[in-house]
Amino acid sequence: MMRPFLEAVRTFKLKPFRTADLVENLGYATGYARNFLSQATRQRLLVAGPKERKREKTFMVNPSVIRKIILKGGREKEELIEALGLHSKYLGEYIALKGFEVVDHDLNLYTLGERIFSDVEGQDEIVITNVGIPKKIITIEI
Amino acid sequence: MGIGKCWKFNDCEQPPYPTIEVTVSSADHKATISPKVDTGFNGSLAIDRESVKTLSLAPVGTTLVKTATGHNEVSLYVVSISQPDLAIIQKTLAIGTKRSLVGRKLLEKRTWLLDCKKGRFCIITD
Repeated sequence: MMRPFLEAVRTFKLKPFRTADLVENLGYATGYARNFLSQATRQRLLVAGPKERKREKTFMVNPSVIRKIILKGGREKEELIEALGLHSKYLGEYIALKGFEVVDHDLNLYTLGERIFSDVEGQDEIVITNVGIPKKIITIEI
Repeated sequence: MGIGKCWKFNDCEQPPYPTIEVTVSSADHKATISPKVDTGFNGSLAIDRESVKTLSLAPVGTTLVKTATGHNEVSLYVVSISQPDLAIIQKTLAIGTKRSLVGRKLLEKRTWLLDCKKGRFCIITD
């Protein structure tokens, strides 16, 4: 489930897409694409997008899933950050994400934290994480 | 120079280790903890799982940290720290770890006495 989801993130990011787009852009068989869309929607990884034409459903990546995956950490987080295309721009930095959007970034985790969390508002939607190995990494001796 | 506020070593392990008492608060909860002083920690505060539970902290992120054994991923929490003897009242990020730690970010700009003979960790005053 995560593999095609990350492919959809990498390919479409915020844009809505249809079953046919998965077939055309990712080379999936129609049945596989439909099955993925059905399961991913059930799991709330995807949400319904705007209807372009009558009876043609579109789907979008659920922005709140981004935060959940980052908070879960591990390999899926690394793959998601890569799929979002953040490695090229923020490698070695800390980023603050709100959905797909990088709202702030810094080499220093604490400086970023001070800026982001000085206000109470909007904290629930923002998530902070590293992109690759931080240049100014936190070290713990024990 | 004189000796100011001192904190007793924690002797729950041998040899005993230095600690500092800090009050940590979240939006709805407050707890006073005595984290281990870790001069190898370049951050401010690491908070153990029990304190995370007590303070009902929700993670605001995750990050890689470097330990003696390699890289580890830890959760990040927003906490308010208060330590009147160090004139510290600040909102900061704390990392989630097995045991609570105070790092160099909270110790800097002070002169310290590590008195292993008397088992105390003290602020040196001018």
